[in-house]
Amino acid sequence: MEFFEQNQMYVVLVVVLAIWFGFLGYMFVLDAKIKKLEEQIKK
Amino acid sequence: MMIISTSYHIFVKEFVSEFRTRYALNALLMFVVTTLSIILFSIGQESPSIDVLSGTLWIVIFFSAMSGLSRTFVAEEERGTSLTLRLLVNASSVYIGKLVYNFALILVLSVIIAVSYVLFITEFTVKTFEIFWLTILLGSAGLASASTILAAIIAKANTKGTLFPVLAFPILLPLLLTCINATKLATEGAFLVEAVKEFQILISFTVVMIATSFLVFDFVWKD
Amino acid sequence: MKTWLKIAVSVWLTGIIIAGIAFPMVKVPQTWYEFPFIPGLEEKARNIIFHVPISWATVVAFAMSMIYGIIYLRKKDIDYDLRSVSSASLGLLLCILATVTGAIWAKFNWGSFWNWDPRQTSIFILLLIYGAYFVLRSAIDEEERRATLSSVYSIIAGVTVPFFIFVMPRIMSGLHPGSLGDEQGKGPVLEFKMAPNMLMVFFASLIGFTVLYFWMYSLKVRQMRIERHVQQITETH
Repeated sequence: MEFFEQNQMYVVLVVVLAIWFGFLGYMFVLDAKIKKLEEQIKK
Repeated sequence: MMIISTSYHIFVKEFVSEFRTRYALNALLMFVVTTLSIILFSIGQESPSIDVLSGTLWIVIFFSAMSGLSRTFVAEEERGTSLTLRLLVNASSVYIGKLVYNFALILVLSVIIAVSYVLFITEFTVKTFEIFWLTILLGSAGLASASTILAAIIAKANTKGTLFPVLAFPILLPLLLTCINATKLATEGAFLVEAVKEFQILISFTVVMIATSFLVFDFVWKD
Repeated sequence: MKTWLKIAVSVWLTGIIIAGIAFPMVKVPQTWYEFPFIPGLEEKARNIIFHVPISWATVVAFAMSMIYGIIYLRKKDIDYDLRSVSSASLGLLLCILATVTGAIWAKFNWGSFWNWDPRQTSIFILLLIYGAYFVLRSAIDEEERRATLSSVYSIIAGVTVPFFIFVMPRIMSGLHPGSLGDEQGKGPVLEFKMAPNMLMVFFASLIGFTVLYFWMYSLKVRQMRIERHVQQITETH
């Protein structure tokens, strides 16, 4: 905790990374859903 | 030589059908009178800078061109004559004929606008007339070149009226900025050689525009 | 796109975000992870790692949209139109992001969010062109006609873009790093004084964002294909 208080740039980094991982999760879920639909259409 | 004579016939046809009704010309003249008087009223006793005035000159020319040229192909679709034209004449002649007609229309229009602008707005003093009239001539050619193909595009769309300026503005912006710049040079009393770069831009814009439209017009027309 | 590539680009860009934000900027770099100061830019230089790749991806997207438009006109296969729209819509999104990130940076470097710098003007024109492109598309119902006319429009708009390179510098001199009005860097952006380690992160970011764009693009195209398929089914029933 003390480390973060001294280097506040890393707080920003953690925030940005949280958003980034959220975005990535969304991308992977969307990808999987589209793949499922494509398979349904093929049948 | 076929193409020249058919293009000429298209041009004459446009001319005749316009003079039968005189719709476009009358409406456009009224448009010019209205916008110019709005500018005169809003100027009032003030003396705005020459930059602003050369900007508004091209605003007036741009919007009157937009309202005048948008009808080129729309009228054809409305009257249902486009099908006949498509069967009888090849696409290139239609394009050339319309382009020349549009150029003539816009040139007449912008000369009228420019003359009345110089006459009525006393703060707007042109010092180098060669630059000024060459800019008007080349600017009209550029406006006609870009708006002919765009008019062909919007004739096929559902909402025709408002679409035209929206489509034309980003494409015509380099032309308008150059024209405004050249007009500024003319009012500052620059020599003709100083505006050569501007004229080069205007000419190459027009040439590139006509060449590209010539290549893609077929797709729009036959669609 | 292969699954391993998706995972790879996720890890890759995560590393770039960490490097871009957390690597300290010091006067005299001692170790490999310390970036040197760029005079006049300081900490704001980090923007290079995010803003420039996004602008690059915008250009890639719009170029792809135009090329698929041309292919559509030659082949008349509606699938190429789907690809063209998908790139254009992603390009518009990236273009907005590039404009916003650029404006935020400009506020702290030039003093105002927007001052009609040549680059700002040209990105504004791109926004206008593709705004008009989507307005045109929404005004036409028929699928093939929409595809043809919007491809023609993107070609017409595409040929005017080079004119800005000649026109804009005559209207005003640029402030953007890399343009003529900037004392720091004469020549293109890349030539300006970037330390080798920063340059590496920058190029890695360029590659990363391009791959990310292709992933987003493939999702968009597949979604549009499904949409079209469903539409056809409902029309025939």
